[in-house]
Amino acid sequence: MSRLNSPRELEHLRKRLREERQNITTTVMTCGGTGCQASRSRAVVDAMRHELSQQGLDGKVRLRVTGCHGFCEQGPIAVIEPGNVFYCHVAPDDAFEIVSQTVARGEVIERLLYTDPVSGEKARTESEIPFYRRQDRQLLSLNRQVDPCSIEDYIAAGGYSALAGVLDRVAPEEIIKEIKASGLRGRGGGGFPTGRKWTECREAPGDERYVICNADEGDPGAYMDRCVLEGNPHLVLEGMMIGAWAVGARKGYIYVRNEYPLAVKHSRIAVEQMRELGLLGDNILGTSFSFDVDIARGGGAFVCGESTALMASIEGKVGEPRPKDVHTVVDGLYHKPTVLNNVETWANVPAIIQKGSAWFASKGTKGSKGTKILALTGRIKNTGLVEVAMGTLIRTVVFDIGGGALNGKPVKAVQIGGPSGGCLPVSKFDLPVDFDVLYEAGSMVGSGGMVVMDEESCMVDVAKYFLAFLQDESCGKCVPCRLGIDRMLEIITDVTEGRGTLKQLDLVEELAETVSETALCGLGKTAANPVLSTLRHFRAEYEEHIRNKKCPAGVCKALITYSIDADKCNGCGVCLRGCVHQAVTGAKKEVHVIDARRCQKCGICRSECKFEAIQVA
Amino acid sequence: MLQYVSLSIDGAVVRAPRGRSVLDAAIEYGICIPHLCHVPYLSDIGACRLCIVEHVANGRSRTTTSCTLTVQEGMVIRANSEKIRKLRRNLAELLVAQAPNSRAIQDIALRCGVKEVRYPFRNEDCVLCGRCVRVCTEVWKARAIGFVGRGKDRHVDYPFGVHPDFCKQCGNCMQLCPMTITPCDGPMKTGEERLCGKCESQLMLADQMLGSCVWCKLGEGFSCGRYA
Amino acid sequence: MPTLPLDRILDGRRSQPHQLIEVLQDVQERYGYVSEEAMRAAAQGLGVPLMEVYRVASFYKAFKLKPRGKNPLTVCMGTACHVRGARVLLEQAVGQLGVELGEVTPDGLFSIEHVNCVGACALGPIVRENGSYHHHMTPGKVRKLIEALRRQGTEEISHVQAQ
Repeated sequence: MSRLNSPRELEHLRKRLREERQNITTTVMTCGGTGCQASRSRAVVDAMRHELSQQGLDGKVRLRVTGCHGFCEQGPIAVIEPGNVFYCHVAPDDAFEIVSQTVARGEVIERLLYTDPVSGEKARTESEIPFYRRQDRQLLSLNRQVDPCSIEDYIAAGGYSALAGVLDRVAPEEIIKEIKASGLRGRGGGGFPTGRKWTECREAPGDERYVICNADEGDPGAYMDRCVLEGNPHLVLEGMMIGAWAVGARKGYIYVRNEYPLAVKHSRIAVEQMRELGLLGDNILGTSFSFDVDIARGGGAFVCGESTALMASIEGKVGEPRPKDVHTVVDGLYHKPTVLNNVETWANVPAIIQKGSAWFASKGTKGSKGTKILALTGRIKNTGLVEVAMGTLIRTVVFDIGGGALNGKPVKAVQIGGPSGGCLPVSKFDLPVDFDVLYEAGSMVGSGGMVVMDEESCMVDVAKYFLAFLQDESCGKCVPCRLGIDRMLEIITDVTEGRGTLKQLDLVEELAETVSETALCGLGKTAANPVLSTLRHFRAEYEEHIRNKKCPAGVCKALITYSIDADKCNGCGVCLRGCVHQAVTGAKKEVHVIDARRCQKCGICRSECKFEAIQVA
Repeated sequence: MLQYVSLSIDGAVVRAPRGRSVLDAAIEYGICIPHLCHVPYLSDIGACRLCIVEHVANGRSRTTTSCTLTVQEGMVIRANSEKIRKLRRNLAELLVAQAPNSRAIQDIALRCGVKEVRYPFRNEDCVLCGRCVRVCTEVWKARAIGFVGRGKDRHVDYPFGVHPDFCKQCGNCMQLCPMTITPCDGPMKTGEERLCGKCESQLMLADQMLGSCVWCKLGEGFSCGRYA
Repeated sequence: MPTLPLDRILDGRRSQPHQLIEVLQDVQERYGYVSEEAMRAAAQGLGVPLMEVYRVASFYKAFKLKPRGKNPLTVCMGTACHVRGARVLLEQAVGQLGVELGEVTPDGLFSIEHVNCVGACALGPIVRENGSYHHHMTPGKVRKLIEALRRQGTEEISHVQAQ
């Protein structure tokens, strides 16, 4: 494809691509995201390709490998158009039937349809599936329409028209005004008003500016950014370019976490394709706007999600945050004014410019506009990526979309916002997904990770988990974070091992307050949230550990014992063979016994036993 | 020509040249703000957090380190409010619990009002103040030592853990290290660590004139900027 | 004279200190770990002080300073995987292989690592091995995976490759 020298040439290309695509009416869309790849979606894709060729359909049917469809638990997923037929748990062996029946003759294969676990009903299309019905998939639905490695798909679907409409045509100040009016707030966790950030950068002194996309996504349990960047990198790039035009930047970076190789690959391909078409480089589309992008990889450090640490990392240095008495919008990358925004924030920009700020602001609540992608995981039935309008109740997300508790064990809490966020008990599930409301409740929307916990999760253990995580990821520079988290972890560990005292709970609260006030960066400042929120809402569990030296959830190893229920044990020996500490003894077909002295309570035997004969007390 | 600005620290009006840090301005005027990682001729990194102050602006107060805060005209700073003293005391408590075997750390703890240590003592021989690293990097430009690792594993080391031949053997790292002088009663054996608190008499004047530098022996102990 | 891989990695990046992390990434990918030799070459080639190279290499978890086993097993310890029992998988691997986290087995075949999130959270617990992601893992599946890898020696399992 040759270089585009004007917006008109872009439109011609778009028209031509659409006409070409009109000739092929049938499309098979298979998810090729990292999640489905773990479920062998690559093999499914290869099998489909093979079958289409075998059945002589490869010129007439388009096989599109897309990014994440969001319903990861049901993957690999394949959607067939026309008919919008939604198949889940697709195996390579299903390819023959799918091609010969659904693709060739429009016949639906019942057994591949989604089955509601409660009612047993089958759903033919996505819109009939409860998981999808309550969502508002403004960003995620776009994943279906494009192969992330094809800029043609993106253009045919309408891509880059927002950008072409603003370059040299709409003043940068007008763009910023529009973003401000939309009420868009940062989607990475800070929730800072995007329009204001862009204004401050534009007004900062200096000629050079940068825009950066934060794709570090360090929150464990969150993978929204991965899916947007893997599945639709051009959307993010278009948003970045509109932002660059607005603030006056000529260079941008996408900083991708080291653990997302596919996102790195797709971003690089996208950038190459853009350069070919002249959508990156000098005088883009024949306008006065010149811009280029580099992809920078992270090195495996959660702290590099923090703006100053991220910028240091791009500069080739250690990711140690620096004090932000002067903000990065004024003194950022290479000491130049920089706008750093999250993947999802950038991804929202093209639609706001295209459809207007009023459209965006019509969704959500007073303080939180638009939609938010949440990563719904943990102990519920339907795990996956969910996009809802701000203001949707937590209850709706967990029960109506998430399908409620896994294995019938009642839901106990939901952890929102990653390590900087907090746990909310079921009694608070009528709160909406809203930046300010959740902050008041001691949690936060954060990046959007929502991990659901049931009665088998110990809240003290959850606090310990997050403290250990933060200790692992702390850069170690400042005293409150390095020593404070260490001591908080020491105290919580005491509690989980039966040595805790009530006085220590007071101490941990005082220490938490000190750490949050004095830490140098956001990691330290919010490090105490998991402890404080679990203490606030689940104090009884802490006291049970302290007063009675019991762990109600049966998790804290020092406070539980494993034993075998003689009534249920049939002597199959699976636990004996599985135990790595040689703590199980017993002859074949006879009741087995656990030696409490050798038992390390690792839980391997329990997960292997098919008769639920292993008891935890 | 130096341009000066006026700011208020604890009610006292102070004049300082543009570009100076609030901590330096305070020290010059004899306002006592405890600090550890600050050394007058080295860069300020804001690592120990002891020099925290409240920066009051737009009706809100932000807690930040005075060594990294640059003076501005009309700035309002509270260096010794009750909130700041409590935070500082808690930070000093963490430090002395970590490394009680240093006269400087003990002196700081006393100066910051630590009366009891509520954590089990450890006997570490480095508090990662970074003075050694910065003097080697910035003054001698040898870069023979540096920070290595991250978080709990962060420590000072040579490249690859081997003493390099480009170390200039200047000894500055040892001279600046707060750990090199043991408490007056001698080194504390593991299990016998305690809060020393012996030089309490040094604090009497300081308590009466809150926030004033009284040229205490404590400051001498940790090479406070006033003595430089 | 054929160029060494290190030279190729440094090509086009010489005297550009900000390329340090990209260089180390490429070294890690190519050699499986970052050696002292590689760090010295990077310091020389990019014009970065040796201490700084060592500092950066030791700061980021992605860079291993010691060689890993032929089959590094990475257990994801993210929150979603954690509540689905990732801890038990680590116990299984440690117990079965007889080495601690971060160590290599005496026969050099395996090493155990953990990562704080690979982003496949809905399918946890995840174990990553040689570029393949294994989902919904249990101790039993981990045991079978290790046994299968041991049987195959250095051959890679013909499972899905993530790249």
